[in-house]
Amino acid sequence: MNSQPASLAVSAKDVRKRFGKLDALAGLDLEVRAGEIYGLLGPNGSGKTTFIRCVAGLVRPDGGTITVLGRTARDAVSAGRVGYMTQAAALYGDLSVDENLAFFARLEGVEDAQTRIDDVLRTVDLADRGRSIVSTLSGGMRSRVSLAAALLHRPDLLLLDEPTVGIDPVLRQEFWAHFRSLASNGATILVSSHVMDEAARCDRLGLIRAGRVLAEGTAAELVRRAGAPDLEVAFLKLAAEAAPAGPAARA
Amino acid sequence: MNLRRVLAVAARIALGFRRDHRSLGLLFVAPLVVLSLVGAVWGSSTQVPPTVAVATDRIGLPPAISTRLVDGLIASTAIRAHPATFEQGVQELKDGKADAVVWTEGTTLHLEIEGSDPLRSGSIGPSVQKAFADAAQTSGLINSGLGVTAPSIQIEQLYGSADYSLLDYLAPVLIAFFAFFFIFLLSAVSFLRERTSGTLERLMATPLRRGELVIGYLAGFSVFALLQALVIIAFTVFVLKVQYRGNLATIFLVEAVMVVGAVSLGLLVSAAARNELQAVQFVPIVLLPQVFLSGLLIPVAQLPDYLRPVSAVLPLTYANEALKAVMIKGLELADPLVLRDIGVLFVFGAVMAIGAIASIRREVA
Repeated sequence: MNSQPASLAVSAKDVRKRFGKLDALAGLDLEVRAGEIYGLLGPNGSGKTTFIRCVAGLVRPDGGTITVLGRTARDAVSAGRVGYMTQAAALYGDLSVDENLAFFARLEGVEDAQTRIDDVLRTVDLADRGRSIVSTLSGGMRSRVSLAAALLHRPDLLLLDEPTVGIDPVLRQEFWAHFRSLASNGATILVSSHVMDEAARCDRLGLIRAGRVLAEGTAAELVRRAGAPDLEVAFLKLAAEAAPAGPAARA
Repeated sequence: MNLRRVLAVAARIALGFRRDHRSLGLLFVAPLVVLSLVGAVWGSSTQVPPTVAVATDRIGLPPAISTRLVDGLIASTAIRAHPATFEQGVQELKDGKADAVVWTEGTTLHLEIEGSDPLRSGSIGPSVQKAFADAAQTSGLINSGLGVTAPSIQIEQLYGSADYSLLDYLAPVLIAFFAFFFIFLLSAVSFLRERTSGTLERLMATPLRRGELVIGYLAGFSVFALLQALVIIAFTVFVLKVQYRGNLATIFLVEAVMVVGAVSLGLLVSAAARNELQAVQFVPIVLLPQVFLSGLLIPVAQLPDYLRPVSAVLPLTYANEALKAVMIKGLELADPLVLRDIGVLFVFGAVMAIGAIASIRREVA
């Protein structure tokens, strides 16, 4: 089962997850190579978040296998090798930025925590806001703190669930520049998005709909394969071709 | 089990409290305010003597003796008596001006009372009896040859004393109740916030284990719960001057074991609620049975048989029993009853903590 080459950060085979009557993941296959930025692209409700939660060890699939950094998802998380930035910033509003980060640093066993906290705060351009109480920060600032918390322990695999939602274009640019620099330093990034222009920045993409990967490849490959003018049209064409089995209409 | 992570969770809770002045107020000031009120209501051992109309037209005794008896009743401090006719007396009763009308028939003492308030009703009989005993003494009725004897009962108490007020008897159970109530509510709402704000999910995506999270919570909340218990005990003992026997350290130990159970129960209940409003709605479900069935208001021994098993699974039943045993009877920690109660409370806390851990599993795999 664990015969995947070491160059794969995430390997998902026929992953299934059902919530009541809803098939959130319906046999999802996907491979994320070490050191790449892999974009999960799909409409709301297509299963992106459920898949990321599986990789973070938060959801146990009903069927199929997920291997993360050569082990089970939970083991990879327990070893402190995975960083997770949730869709909505999950922080303690009554604590300061520093206190939130110090808390997560202790959970992840980060050494020389204060130096590292200062580092990641500089990275997300919040070096002067360490003492601010989180509930007083703007939404964009909270997202940055949330990203900082996910970076603290220098994870090998970074899971970003729609990290740039509600973030202004300037900051979005900075986030992506930062993701790129992390990847060039060897980190693997699995990022979900439903914004097409963002998808174009990923090394490879998985078009996901109704809990399945419809197509996988670089943005250019997907556009060429679909014979479409741009990624958005390509996505629509590929989705139509895949003609989902059963009554799975627009998610 | 990683101690560093457990302590991180506990410290996080303490940091949150430091900024949350309202919750701190709820924790430390609210119980004192309520206890002061209870103290003011129940703390005095003096009772207002009942107002009694003596129906002079229905005293079935020779006039000379009758007059002496009525005078004796009026002179007694146990009641506030005044002479009246029977009809006047009944009218006073209806108007709320008198608490009782008394008359005699042979050697039987008759007493008509208003009766709408059982607590008040209960205290009238003994007061009138006492007044009759006084009057029989002072009027020389006992030696009148009419066969009237004043029964004299001298009560010796094994525990407590006649000058104990209601508050002295209730203090042990009130201490337990307030400590349980406030810390249960705070931990339930606090953990619910962890679940609804997404931080629980975020924590589960770190090396933190579910058991470490729950133990961290127990540690963080127990520190505040124990500080609260110290404040409540000190307040009842030194400010309200509640009379107690037994060892303060033993009282504190019982409280400590109990509040760990209260925190665990709060964590478990937070799994069943979807939002803070629902969590608050659990308060009556969790607390009211304990008010009525734990021996707080009604002794457990007086409960109907079918309610005893319910009483037997409520943690406050054991906390009340142990605290009463220590504070009123002066039992030591080593007493089997006290040890058994502490043991039951410990098991309760452990079971609830395991339940809380299991409740996290259901949400995030």
